[in-house]
Amino acid sequence: MPTIAQQLLRRKPTTPPEVEDGQLKRSIGLFSLTMIGVGGTLGTGIFFILSQAVPVAGPAVIWSFVIGGVVAGLTALCYAEMAGAVPASGSTYSYAYATLGEGTAMAVGACLLLEYGVSTAAVAVGWSQYVNQLLQNLFGWQLPVQLSQAPEQGGIVNIPAVIVIVLCSLLLLRGARESTTVNSIMVIVKIAVVLFFCAVAFTGWNADHFHNFAPAGFAGIVGGAGIIFFSFVGLDAVSTAGEEAKNAKRNLPLAIIFALVIIVLLYVLTCLAALGAQAPEKFANQDAGLAAILQNIIGSAWPGTIVAIGAIISIFSVTLVVLYGQTRILFAMSRDGMIPPVFAKVNPRSMTPVRNTVIVMIATSILAAVIPIDFLAEMTSIGTLVAFLVVSLGVIILRVREPELERGFRLPLGWTIPILSIAGCIAIITQLRVITIVVFLIWTAAFLVFYWFYGRTHSKLQAGRPAVDAEAPYTSNFAQPSKSEIREAAARRRAGRK
Amino acid sequence: MSIVVGVDPAHRSASALHLAGMLARSSGTSLVVAAIVPPAWPATAGGADAEWRGYTRDAADSTLDHAAAVLGGSIAAEYLVYEAPSARRGLNSLAEEREAGLIVVGSAAQARQGRIALGAESDALLHASPVPVAVAPRGYRVAEGSRVSRVTAAYRGTGASAGLVLGAAAVSATLGAALRIASFAVVPPDSGTSGAGLDAETAIADTWAADIEKHATSLARRVTQLDRAPVVSGVAVGRGETWEAALAAVEWEPNEVLVVGSSTLGPLSRVFLGSHAAKIVRHSPVPVVVVPHGVATRDRE
Repeated sequence: MPTIAQQLLRRKPTTPPEVEDGQLKRSIGLFSLTMIGVGGTLGTGIFFILSQAVPVAGPAVIWSFVIGGVVAGLTALCYAEMAGAVPASGSTYSYAYATLGEGTAMAVGACLLLEYGVSTAAVAVGWSQYVNQLLQNLFGWQLPVQLSQAPEQGGIVNIPAVIVIVLCSLLLLRGARESTTVNSIMVIVKIAVVLFFCAVAFTGWNADHFHNFAPAGFAGIVGGAGIIFFSFVGLDAVSTAGEEAKNAKRNLPLAIIFALVIIVLLYVLTCLAALGAQAPEKFANQDAGLAAILQNIIGSAWPGTIVAIGAIISIFSVTLVVLYGQTRILFAMSRDGMIPPVFAKVNPRSMTPVRNTVIVMIATSILAAVIPIDFLAEMTSIGTLVAFLVVSLGVIILRVREPELERGFRLPLGWTIPILSIAGCIAIITQLRVITIVVFLIWTAAFLVFYWFYGRTHSKLQAGRPAVDAEAPYTSNFAQPSKSEIREAAARRRAGRK
Repeated sequence: MSIVVGVDPAHRSASALHLAGMLARSSGTSLVVAAIVPPAWPATAGGADAEWRGYTRDAADSTLDHAAAVLGGSIAAEYLVYEAPSARRGLNSLAEEREAGLIVVGSAAQARQGRIALGAESDALLHASPVPVAVAPRGYRVAEGSRVSRVTAAYRGTGASAGLVLGAAAVSATLGAALRIASFAVVPPDSGTSGAGLDAETAIADTWAADIEKHATSLARRVTQLDRAPVVSGVAVGRGETWEAALAAVEWEPNEVLVVGSSTLGPLSRVFLGSHAAKIVRHSPVPVVVVPHGVATRDRE
């Protein structure tokens, strides 16, 4: 039997996927990599997050976006180094399992359930707001508040949010997934909608709205960054493509930076336009924010309708992608024996993990139906931030423990970037609401307790259960001899020679 | 038991005949080669229609001559011109009359060489036929005297397709050919935006393939316990980014025949191609036999 320390620290051996004869290895260029970053990120938050962030940060929310973007960029770079050290493509969970050990991987898994599962619920709630806005504009009628809001906001259940999750799940059950082409189309749709919003909103520019620029000071700005950090979820997707990237050493960091610059620019532009068009105090509790702002300044419904349609399309695609990511991460965890095998059952007819998808659908539907969006957004943010923090920490640990390991991409400036990234994550986390942090700690603790009683003994790496398909560990699975041990060995040899 | 072969009275195509000849040789049955012609109006004024009628019959007759030349003398075959409003109805009722076990047709002309395309008539036939329909790829040829070497049953892991495999086992026993169980899956490349890694789908496909192989192997064991058990030549799983690649991922013998089942959604005992089966038919490099849902199980009982 392995000891508990061995169990917690054991790493999953990975062998690079074999390239079969005649099968071309995928190679992704700089442009496509950037598209992955922009496509994965844009649209998660910008359509509805201002209503939550402006009341906290005031017009200085612009800086919140910049800060959030910089931290997200730093962590994405760390993520790229981590991903490059593992010769296979996977999620943060897989990378953590291969480099930092099982215990950490499980904690990361708990964070990812927030980053994916809870953010599915959050974007679904955002979707419901735009659906209601569109119904109002087109038919002069919308769902009553009881059926379109969470209980805390005066409703009973959020039906449209449940509908979008069920629709996306049905697509996934049938085997649908986003292709590169669809992603490119969605990127264009999203950028077009955002630019359209800016173009119209700038016509209602009023500099007075920026008068009280940072009412809550720097703390407000960082607090705002905590809320909007959610809209940078997905930037890490670029790193997962690291193994396939053409000239990864150059293209991976460039793609992350390009994607980040595009996204931050679009976000800041949207903020500027929105704040110029509407006084900061009106943002609170505004549903379908971007569409509502346009309607207020133009005085007619059509620009709002266009933005609402664009938002409905783009948020739908985001929901699909995030839901997909969640089911696949759970699949990987289940295959490793960390969670029950029901998540790794594949239906032979549709070739999709049906039970897994249905469970995720039910769980996220319940979240979306009854929990208000601000709490969902904060939970997503904290999950993402902690996952990123662990990755940045992992980069440092890996450099100390495996300095010789070949990496596809190595960060310059020594430890600077990982340390900055860790500091940034911590700074933002501390500004989140106490309730968010407490719920997060309880959630992670519950997950680790589950690991203690289930995953620890069911793990495929438990003694006598060799890892599937792995020929040899790619990193040494055992600790290197310590310096004192080396010194002793040297002394022994010297004694032998005499 | 006989095999009905449909030849187009307007074209001289040999591919269906080559396939039918090989099947007849392997199973020791006789062929009914039919050219379906539209019925003429009975005794119209002026005899204009009679002239047209004569022309179509002559044309059909010369196609049958061509067919007889293709088949040669070694195969027992009957050649007839059959009147019916459409090829589909003609072949169906002929098959019923002669209690045929199989209908053989050629591919539509728009297919690439060596591939199958379903034309208006063959598609309609597939939707209506109560017996299995074999479709030869465009330009299909076999060497003289060749027999079916192997029958591959397309297996999807569902109960209905397990029935199909057992049905295909009976067919391969009749043909004296080996039986292979094959499954195909398309794993398209992911956009990468989900953050689950580009290989997320590969892991799913691996699990799927392992499950399918396990089921197929146990099916193969069941096949060997049948009364007239064919030689089982293993289990294959073909995966690729497209159907074309998935079908090309398994190896094919020159005189091989692929058996696919029709969708379980259609009315019972009727061939109705599901979306997967339709794609397999389109990209198959070998002749395909489409078996109506329900026929496979009926034959076994």
